[in-house]
Amino acid sequence: MTALRRVAGKLGALLLTLFLASLLVFFSRFLVPGDPLSFLLRGRKPSAEAVAQVSAQYGLDLPPWQQYLNWLAGVLQGDLGRSLQYRQDVTEVIGDRLPVTLGLVVMAGAIIAVLGLTAGIVASLNRGRILDRAVLVGLTVLGAIPSFVGSIVLIAVFAVQLGWFPSFGSGEGFLDTVYHLVLPSIALALVFVVLVGKVTRSSMVEQLGREHVEVATSRGLKRGTVIRRHVVRNSIGPILTVSGVLVAGLLVASAIVEAAFGLAGIGSLLVQSVDRLDFPVVQAIVLLVVAAFVTVNAVIDVLEPLVDPRAAAGVGAR
Amino acid sequence: MTILDISELTLDLPNGTRLLDGISLTVAEGETVGLVGESGSGKSLTARSVLGLLPGGAVMGGSVQLFGRSVLDASRGELLELRRTRASMIFQDPRAGINPMRTVGDHLTETMRLCDGRSAAEARAVAISLMEAVHLPRPAEHLHQYPHELSGGMLQRVMIAGALTSSPRLLICDEPTTALDVTTQAEIIGVLAEQRASRGMGMLFITHDLNLAAAICDRVYVMSAGRVEEQGDARQVFRNPQADYTKRLVAATPTISVAGDRGRSPVDGSDAAATGVRSATAPVPAEPMLEAVGISKTYLRRGKEPVRAVIDATIEIPRGGALGVVGESGSGKSTLARMIVGLEQADAGDIRIAGRERASARASRAERLAHARSMQMVFQDPYLSLDPRITAGKAIEDALRLHSRLGTTEARARVIELLEQVGLRDAHAQARPRTLSGGQRQRVAIARALAIDPHVLVMDEATSALDVSVQAQVLGVVERIRRERGLTVLFISHDLAVVRRLCEQTVVMKTGEIVERGRTDELLSTPRHPYTRLLIDSVPRPDWQPETVAGEADALEEAAR
Repeated sequence: MTALRRVAGKLGALLLTLFLASLLVFFSRFLVPGDPLSFLLRGRKPSAEAVAQVSAQYGLDLPPWQQYLNWLAGVLQGDLGRSLQYRQDVTEVIGDRLPVTLGLVVMAGAIIAVLGLTAGIVASLNRGRILDRAVLVGLTVLGAIPSFVGSIVLIAVFAVQLGWFPSFGSGEGFLDTVYHLVLPSIALALVFVVLVGKVTRSSMVEQLGREHVEVATSRGLKRGTVIRRHVVRNSIGPILTVSGVLVAGLLVASAIVEAAFGLAGIGSLLVQSVDRLDFPVVQAIVLLVVAAFVTVNAVIDVLEPLVDPRAAAGVGAR
Repeated sequence: MTILDISELTLDLPNGTRLLDGISLTVAEGETVGLVGESGSGKSLTARSVLGLLPGGAVMGGSVQLFGRSVLDASRGELLELRRTRASMIFQDPRAGINPMRTVGDHLTETMRLCDGRSAAEARAVAISLMEAVHLPRPAEHLHQYPHELSGGMLQRVMIAGALTSSPRLLICDEPTTALDVTTQAEIIGVLAEQRASRGMGMLFITHDLNLAAAICDRVYVMSAGRVEEQGDARQVFRNPQADYTKRLVAATPTISVAGDRGRSPVDGSDAAATGVRSATAPVPAEPMLEAVGISKTYLRRGKEPVRAVIDATIEIPRGGALGVVGESGSGKSTLARMIVGLEQADAGDIRIAGRERASARASRAERLAHARSMQMVFQDPYLSLDPRITAGKAIEDALRLHSRLGTTEARARVIELLEQVGLRDAHAQARPRTLSGGQRQRVAIARALAIDPHVLVMDEATSALDVSVQAQVLGVVERIRRERGLTVLFISHDLAVVRRLCEQTVVMKTGEIVERGRTDELLSTPRHPYTRLLIDSVPRPDWQPETVAGEADALEEAAR
């Protein structure tokens, strides 16, 4: 019952957030310098009638709030409008590119989870020793490399010199796509591995110092059992929270990596569309990112009580 | 037969600090041995060394023999074996000591399933019978509950049951009742005594409370700064201490026995005069300094029953008087104090200070300042109530300058004066809180509260977090200031003995209501309300009977139904 109510509450909050985001996204375009008309007309100097006609065709002659209502009505019916640059439905433009970005984000997420958790756990279990410091230094160095530099280095070493992986394009078919996405997802994951690694380490270190860990040790449990049952499980909370923020970061950062590896994904589409004042596409992508972010965080909120029973009871975590 | 034999145990940290310095002690089968000392004495370290729970990088010397086997040289496997079959430990705070994310049943059955290879059903059956043995009310139900669903006392029973799953021959208890209310302490001690007797275990009992050690132990070791200062028969050490340190400790330990079966020697010279204060300030009450009439507070909770924290409480303190408010956790005593200070708004009732109505919450800044001038509070934890980045002198000076128009030099001079009043020196004005000890910090907090000459000083468990000797110093300071300045004090405490020392009047609170009030000595010698009697009987002393206390508690609970 309470769980149901929780989920319902989250759903309401999700819709409200999406609505507010849509307002912000839609009206921000009126603050941006530049006019979609001039892009549509491609520098030509047509007659006033022609301009009026194009304006009317795209609904640009209406007052902003009416444009918003039209757009919102369209969105609610699954129509995100027409792309100005591709002269195609936005849903189609995005639909073509979504799988690449999703694949990239999923693979990067897997790399982050495996490397970040491992690094964090290894460092925390060797706290203060050389291995811990090595991991910390390694993470810091990795974290200091911007994604585009990382991409270039990866291409130079693994694609150009060693020739193990392709340097460009997203491939055909499932396996080929995965193969093409290996280097991009590594480039995308690097910065976030650091984040997850450090959060994991500090969360683990905190739990390792807890009295219940000493109690478990005093009862004759093996160290591995104590770590598994009483430390790792209890450390998940902060890691989950950080993962929520991570999703938005991944989607946004994918723009850089997609550009570097010549992938036709959402990120590169966003950059390109902003550049060309293709507002219907920009609005749709931003809305998509916001929706993904809010949804993931809502899912995490719902998962939290399953991890920590105190959260369900509303008792402060200690 | 000796089951534990520690001899000449030393422990050095990698940086060369010696934490244990030649500890020798023994525990025989069926014997209860107390290890008494203040914080930092090394008593917990000594106890942990028995199970090989040592700080990282510690260099050990001497020997620890548990059932004839050396713990310090034991291999990892042998150590696990010792922990699984020979000795168990019960820790201070059950809320911290039991994994909050796993069920009680998981805690109880985990070692049986994972170490002894027993089946889940078998482990469950053992867990239920152990929960019955420690008198948990609904064992089958508790198996599926999480720690936050149980009270502190129940959780400590779970901890005890968990320690007994391995049928240990030696039970190590590290301050197992310090985090609990005094009546709950009696219950837990009763359970421990019962189990020790029925199983014939040896018990190593660590505590800071000499009274408690004298009540339940056969022999005690008194530790200070990593050394054993004195050892011997528990009551003998308590009644007739030989070592200087033990003498000071016994003297500093407050007692509730009114007749005074032993003379309390002065701690800092002020104590002897304190009795004089009591008669001197025994009031000719013209007008009460603090008057609270019929105040109530109810907390509304979403989706739950509202909590009536304070119900129609009326208290009165004459000018220069000291009133103790005694009760257990959840009795509403702190809420009462917070309402009087103005940190909470009372739902009903009047609070008057020096005849003036207390300002309402929406008062102007000037009114709030005026109220703060009349009333200051000292909080429980001096580690939390001082800003770590502000020096002691500055903390006091800030309070001064907020309320008066003193110039810098005048204010500084006044700060030094205040520090000297609480027994510190001008050098302490430059010190940041982290360089001060707990007692020094609390004295700074008192100096800050006194800086603006309040009419009333409210102390909420202000000495509870301190060691007994430090507590004695702080109480001495408060007594002296009362004598010198005629300060009015409202003293909130769970500790009857401390209240007895400081307050001439006492009220007893239980679940939001004042159940008894009167002169402190009368209240202690002839309690009328059964709850007051229970509180008094719960305080450990050499001829203490935890079973009687438990009986009383049950009777009271029955009556409440």
